Amino acid sequence: MEYLDSLTGFRLDGRRPNDMRQIRGEIGVVAKADGSALFEMGNTKVIAAVYGPREVQNKSQQVNNQALVRCEYSMANFSTGDRARRPKGDRRSTEISLVIRQTMETCILTHLMPRSQIDIFVQVLQADGGTRSACINAATLALADAGVPMCDIVTSCSAGYLSSTPLLDLNYIEDSAGGPDVTVGILAKMDKVTLLQMDAKLPIDIFENVMQLAIEGCKAIAQYIRGVLLENTKQLECCRGV
Amino acid sequence: MAAGGGEGEDELVTPGELLGDSSGLIAGTGAYVAPNGRSIRASLAGIRCITPAQPDAADQRSTVEVVGHKAQGAVPQPGSVVIARVTKVMARMASADIMCVESKAVREKFTGIIRQQDVRATEIDKVDMYLSFHPGDIVRALVLSLGDARAYYLSTAKNELGVVSAQSIAGATMVPISWTEMQCPLTGQVEKRKVAKVD
Repeated sequence: MEYLDSLTGFRLDGRRPNDMRQIRGEIGVVAKADGSALFEMGNTKVIAAVYGPREVQNKSQQVNNQALVRCEYSMANFSTGDRARRPKGDRRSTEISLVIRQTMETCILTHLMPRSQIDIFVQVLQADGGTRSACINAATLALADAGVPMCDIVTSCSAGYLSSTPLLDLNYIEDSAGGPDVTVGILAKMDKVTLLQMDAKLPIDIFENVMQLAIEGCKAIAQYIRGVLLENTKQLECCRGV
Repeated sequence: MAAGGGEGEDELVTPGELLGDSSGLIAGTGAYVAPNGRSIRASLAGIRCITPAQPDAADQRSTVEVVGHKAQGAVPQPGSVVIARVTKVMARMASADIMCVESKAVREKFTGIIRQQDVRATEIDKVDMYLSFHPGDIVRALVLSLGDARAYYLSTAKNELGVVSAQSIAGATMVPISWTEMQCPLTGQVEKRKVAKVD
């Protein structure tokens, strides 16, 4: 299968190799949660809800000098092309839960909230590749909405390497091509990598190019997320009549 | 959005944004000092707010805060004065639910324990818990420590700490008559409490 048009150099969905899909973020979509957000990357759509910081439910898990961060990732049955019943806590979702938890834990200032717990629930409503990244971005927005202190906002984006070209933000078709898929999460302002995943082999020079492309994507997302947060803050201010 | 640096009172910031340098500013709520120990960054999304130091303060740096985000419930910390309602009195301690931290109401339940040795400053071994508190009393107390896994340790061992409001058996709010006694205005009955000296 050709992933790049040999004549125009366009991808299957009409993007250029270093084009990202349209992104959209919305804050405050779950009324009951302390913080919530919806994040879309093209056709990938995820919802995140944050509860806490609150008292630890299971006392044996309590940490005395920092907050306990928990994360649960799930995919809706209707999120993929074929409607499949998914058991809760399968291998894939446990792994992604762990990845999201570790990524968010690094940016939350957990030492400010000892003996408390923060729950992050992310659910994929529509899956079209890059769910991992979308979940992290949604979780960041939701955490910021909840007012959880963070050292920086984490954003994530993936990049792949198909037809000898680095491609930014793979969709489902490109993802299932089986090529390398590099997911990167960065702290945008501090220029620090907090997440880097790839389950394929790539020569180091090509890998660096692909990773650099993903980082550029992360930075673009970070800029967008900041915009959303500022807009939300402005609205809050308006509501208070300041 | 430009990163901080200039003086502006209503500038919107997001987590990670640079607020200034720690040589001229102190990080307040919603801000933190970066691991390099120099730059101060925001940890919340909100409005940047700089308050100058008190003229008589030892540290003359201004405090930078990020405000205007969703208010977080207050959390008791060691050293903070809390208002609590006594729920249970036992021979060696009394347990209480913390309702306010400083002047802010808490959003969720925190339990505290006043141990026998923390009720008053003098003759701490002769304290009778049953003559110091009753269930339902409103107590002003100091948070000693985060305590054990279940409760904060509270102390009333100061003149201004102790029972601030209590109901008598008759159901009326009692009037303090000394630091150990309160009187019911309806029946004239005197009950023992560890009374706080309220200005």
